[in-house]
Amino acid sequence: MKNKQIKIALKNCGKIDPERIKDYIAVDGYKALGSCLSEKMPGDVIDIIKSSGLRGRGGGGFPTGKKWEIASKFDADQKYVICNADEGDPGAFMDRSILEGDPHSVIEAMTICGYATGATEGYVYIRAEYPLAIKRLLIAIGQAKEVGLLGKNILNSGFDFEIGLKYGAGAFVCGEETALIASMEGKRGNPVNKPPYPVECGYKGKPSNVNNVETFANIPKIINKGASWFSSIGTEGSKGTKVFALAGKVKNVGLVEVPMGTTLRELIFDIGGGIVNGKKFKAAQTGGPSGGCLTEKHLDTRIDYESLKACGSMMGSGGMIVMDEDDCMVAIAEFYLGFTVEESCGKCVPCREGNYVLHEILKKITHGEGTLEDLDKLKNISEVVKATSLCGLGQTSPNPVLSTLSNFYDEYYDHVVNKKCAAKKCRSLLTYSIIEENCIGCLQCKRVCPADAISGELKEKHVIDPEACIKCGACVSKCKFNAIVVE
Amino acid sequence: MKKIESIDKLNALRTYLENEKAVSESKNVIVKVAMSTCSIATGSEQVMEYFQEQMKLEAIGSKIIKTGCMGLCHSEPTVEITVPGKEPVIFGKVDQKRVEIIIKDYIKLGKEVDGVIN
Repeated sequence: MKNKQIKIALKNCGKIDPERIKDYIAVDGYKALGSCLSEKMPGDVIDIIKSSGLRGRGGGGFPTGKKWEIASKFDADQKYVICNADEGDPGAFMDRSILEGDPHSVIEAMTICGYATGATEGYVYIRAEYPLAIKRLLIAIGQAKEVGLLGKNILNSGFDFEIGLKYGAGAFVCGEETALIASMEGKRGNPVNKPPYPVECGYKGKPSNVNNVETFANIPKIINKGASWFSSIGTEGSKGTKVFALAGKVKNVGLVEVPMGTTLRELIFDIGGGIVNGKKFKAAQTGGPSGGCLTEKHLDTRIDYESLKACGSMMGSGGMIVMDEDDCMVAIAEFYLGFTVEESCGKCVPCREGNYVLHEILKKITHGEGTLEDLDKLKNISEVVKATSLCGLGQTSPNPVLSTLSNFYDEYYDHVVNKKCAAKKCRSLLTYSIIEENCIGCLQCKRVCPADAISGELKEKHVIDPEACIKCGACVSKCKFNAIVVE
Repeated sequence: MKKIESIDKLNALRTYLENEKAVSESKNVIVKVAMSTCSIATGSEQVMEYFQEQMKLEAIGSKIIKTGCMGLCHSEPTVEITVPGKEPVIFGKVDQKRVEIIIKDYIKLGKEVDGVIN
């Protein structure tokens, strides 16, 4: 696991006690803040971040230094720094781990950002379902205040900065920055049109710089080690490292941090240890419900913002769900669309209605009622939803459909034309039958069948009635003679 | 803790804490137990308590630290042990039995034991 990893954002995670500020200070904690306040002008700090090449780790990949620069240019009586800790992708836990393992690094980075952009107040927008992260953040904020690394006149520099917490109820759309800000203001978490961007008109109508947890966690290390050190890691357009939450059918499920440009193969097979139970790799979903799947032909693609986009996926916040031959890609698309339908805020029509229709069509296909025409419809509606939705949620939600359609068209075709699911995941498409030669008539399957769909007497061949069979699989797990086939 | 009033004082404090850490590491066995939400769910709190108990019983000079996530979900609970003068070693799937083996065989006798994560 340790090989090929470079830990920058996760440098202190698993190394220090997150509830002791002394532990953090002993590993160069608050050194970057000290050097910014004593030796650097705000413009110098922005220049360092700009030339480091750091880009937003929440998924969008906007250059962080540029964002800070824009925020710093607006003249306002009050500006804000906001940390987006509304981690909502299924299977992703990068931000939680950083906040639980190294909360001071985020506090230090937010303070540096405040100094650079001219803000004196910061907020962490965090989901209430992260109680331990909240507890450790609050402890860390209290300690930083106690020793004067947060609050009025930090280190006697004349700079003031306060940090507060805002709790979210765990809505996926609130990770979108305008919806996040609405939620912070106590309003319904609905996004609004951009521009104006939050850097100009954000929380309470004031310039607000929103960055993700992982983005912030990189900042102190960049200041301490220098922009050229950071930009020496990674690829042409994507510098530094990326944290991935490896999940799904991979042996070493866990949190890894690799340099940008690492290949999917290295990530899944070297670091992840390969696929569980010796099965065949089929696909990896990156970017959660907004991303797409990468397949075998993408295994040697060097992962960065641009290459993932070119493959029809996206970096996203770093969730990576690995799938094997037993996963049905149509069912996967249906799962993600089900998620999006639940999480769409309902404000704009394409996202509210379009995703619903996409989900209905996918359901139809997995239930064996799809037609070839449906596949065209899926593609068309997906493109409309992408092009016309108001915010990032709808603009990306059809990606799982489009990417599975283009990478696994045969599988869709099999579902609608042959009414078959090769992965044996779509129950409606399966048939259970008994192989006469193997059946000894032991009655075991008949006894466990909850639908009384199996007939036959002791020592006689049994028969499954396809009309009555509910395809629960109870018979298969009971049969010791491999006499039941599922097709 | 007192207020840190200037950059110089922050730098002085860091030097002091770095020294303190180095001295502690040269004398004590450092035991780091991953303690994030997921680790706690797999029982890392009990592992940490058991370590505290056993190290005391065996009278081994030690410092037991709770940390955040080590990223090794597949092997939680995870513990990193650093014996003075040696490289840190991470053990996975640690339970009471493995704690005893780690203390008796690895820490006291320096033998290789199972459960090391590379």
